Amino acid sequence: MAALIELEELRFAYAATDRATQPALSDVTLQIETGEYVAIIGANGSGKSTLARHLNALLLPTSGVVRIAGMDTRDQTHRRAIRQTVGMVFQRPDDQIIAATIEEDVAFGPENIGLPPDEIRARVRKALETVNVWDVRLRPPHHLSAGQMQRVALAGVLAMQPRCIVFDEATAMLDPAGRRTVRLMMAQLHAEGITVITITHFMDEATEAKRVIVMDQGRVALDAPPAQVFAEDHALQALSLELPPIALLTQRLRQSFPELPPNLLTAPALTSALDALPHNTTAAPSVASQAPPAGRTLIEVEKLGHVYLKATPLEHRALHNVNLVIPEGGSHGLLGATGSGKSTLLQHLNGLLRPQEGKVRIGDFNLNDPRVDLRAVRRSAGLAFQMPELQIFEQYVGDEIAFGPRLQGLQGATLRERVRWAMGLVGLDFDTFKDRLTFALSGGERRKVALASVLALQPAILLLDEPTAGLDPISRRELLAHLQALRNTGMTLVISSHRMEDLARMAETLTVMAGGSSILSGAASDVFAEEGQLRSLGLGLPVVAEIASALRARGWPLSPNVLTAEVLVAQLMEITSRA
Amino acid sequence: MHDFEFQRYVTVGQYLATDSPLHHLDPRARLVSGALLLIAITAAPHLSGLGLALVVVLLALVAARIPLSYALRGLVAPLPFILFLALLQILFASPGNEFPAWFTLGPLHTSKMDLLIGSIIIVRFAALILLISLTSAIISTSELVHSLQALLRPLATLGIPTQDLVLMAQVTLRFLPLLALEAERIAKAQASRGAEWGTGKTGILRRVRQALPLLVPLFLNSLQRAEALALAMEARGYHGGKGRTSMVELHFRFTDAVALVVSSALSTLIMLL
Repeated sequence: MAALIELEELRFAYAATDRATQPALSDVTLQIETGEYVAIIGANGSGKSTLARHLNALLLPTSGVVRIAGMDTRDQTHRRAIRQTVGMVFQRPDDQIIAATIEEDVAFGPENIGLPPDEIRARVRKALETVNVWDVRLRPPHHLSAGQMQRVALAGVLAMQPRCIVFDEATAMLDPAGRRTVRLMMAQLHAEGITVITITHFMDEATEAKRVIVMDQGRVALDAPPAQVFAEDHALQALSLELPPIALLTQRLRQSFPELPPNLLTAPALTSALDALPHNTTAAPSVASQAPPAGRTLIEVEKLGHVYLKATPLEHRALHNVNLVIPEGGSHGLLGATGSGKSTLLQHLNGLLRPQEGKVRIGDFNLNDPRVDLRAVRRSAGLAFQMPELQIFEQYVGDEIAFGPRLQGLQGATLRERVRWAMGLVGLDFDTFKDRLTFALSGGERRKVALASVLALQPAILLLDEPTAGLDPISRRELLAHLQALRNTGMTLVISSHRMEDLARMAETLTVMAGGSSILSGAASDVFAEEGQLRSLGLGLPVVAEIASALRARGWPLSPNVLTAEVLVAQLMEITSRA
Repeated sequence: MHDFEFQRYVTVGQYLATDSPLHHLDPRARLVSGALLLIAITAAPHLSGLGLALVVVLLALVAARIPLSYALRGLVAPLPFILFLALLQILFASPGNEFPAWFTLGPLHTSKMDLLIGSIIIVRFAALILLISLTSAIISTSELVHSLQALLRPLATLGIPTQDLVLMAQVTLRFLPLLALEAERIAKAQASRGAEWGTGKTGILRRVRQALPLLVPLFLNSLQRAEALALAMEARGYHGGKGRTSMVELHFRFTDAVALVVSSALSTLIMLL
């Protein structure tokens, strides 16, 4: 029997007339069999999504052949059958839901293929039950969490009863709990015999697949099982990718413990390998106590509450009894699932929202005072929104960054210098980038422009809402490095995120938000020591803390606040040397 | 502090699931009744008829269990315009006016007739806005779509692509709240970069100038959204309205017929009174 998906010397160029531009895909030859679980990874612009869109005839090859279950995608008469064979879940949950209620959205596909109403209802019910959203089927889509919406999108695909489902960065916008459920769904579908193809920037997701295809500049660079792909760190670096977090940690540990086996990809595997080392579990290692960051209190929030659309039938409470104290200097993390109130809280910290209940003080500004100068507050606390690149409005990079300072009254050489300075902070060269068109930049570059446009106001506090969401590994690493450099200049950072690795790396102090309230606050290592509570909130642990916790469960006397690889290595050395 | 809550003053187009008796009627009956009343209010020549219309709409709002304070808030935004129109009507003479003037000053001219016409304008607009708020509160987008599909089906035989048009309307309605939220986010982003959104110090000219940086990203993001949506629809087998079926089947019952008869009678009365 022929393979489910066959690509033969596939070549695709977006602007077929333009000979100068590189084709988005060239010379791609692949076969994917029924029932496979494949991950496709690669840097932004490497052709992953373009490849995926060939799999259900959303795009047609410029040359070469794509066959789905033996059907050539260029043959119009097969289009309908191909779309029923290969379903697709896209990145942004709210852009792929068409109908006004969830139930009807799931029915959209079956309605298109002209099934009778009874059959549609049966399929809709089954699909909604599979993804566990049957109970909320009559709600309008924008009242769901991002994770639920993504499951609805999956249900819409399942109702077509496809043989293969392609997830095009379907987890990029989700919080840890949302990601986990979608990943479980993928595994479950794979177990049921459906072919699963997932495109992702999360390397740990790729390790769950049985086969990893690495794309680079429109070509297949590697095609092997995950253990093999992630064994070659240098090759991945060259492809603008990185190792999964566990593999990175293993690499770091192997410098001190060369007897550990290479290419360990999962937490249980690494834990067992470490546990096999000779060790002495009787005495606890000495703990270097971390002094809490001292300094003047810069931000003080007390019993803050906020209700959106108050006194209308649509009102909903976003914040309730939030307490927050942030010292000057250093960086503070806000940790919480989607909808926990992080963004609303951040908007109070630069005066976009005024306190309805409770108190907010930022530096010398008391936001409860009705005469407070809001523009001055916003200037001293700059806020970069989630996906800030979506709010760029100027044609040229330079103008975009100059918008804020210009409104402050800067002009001429001073303005120019300010823009140059702001661009320098995020690593954009002034002369190369100032006259570039904002819409022709890559995703990572646009994010930097948006960040520079906030920094151009020279704020004392920088508020960042999910700064790394949706970035590929290289852009993400670069951005974090720039943020670290900003912190070292004395700027106070407040970062909201649901990515544990980012916060473990960036934040000294953490506040955990859940259901609109602040429920846990303190030094990052202490907060991450509250494993049970974090897990019950659907949040996870950073890998180092996770490994430490797993070892502790096996009797290793590690101290409760291990958060960095350095501390972990030091404590492991102590325990193993005494054996 | 509601500076950024663009949704707050838009009661038109907001479905409210209050589960009232009106919500239980067949959506076609609701839609047709609403349309009949709309025509009647637009065409009614006399103040007495419009007064009746206002009473009918207010009673219907109560029956639909919609808080009156909420419905009346929808009148706040257009009120200055309505008052302005009415004032023009009252102050300037309408042609063919044989009532004696109460007051004349140059071109200004007020009589009993002018006052009457002014009041008619106010009542007509108020009744219209409340009626539209009411119908959108009791007809959800999906019900609207299904009833339009059913009501327009006869036109499809004439070769008019009604299914596609209805789907277009559906997608538009689905994305309007998203658009409002996005506008809110962009305004906030610009305010945090020093633009004077929400500082309470904005003149009309400044507002116009602020709109441009708001519209550009809004427009571009909408295009991106449209593209993503088109892909998602195509990926799920959409290929135009032909051959589509529907999950929902509508059933027209006796109470629906009664509702239609009552609304037709009221509409006639509004026009004749």
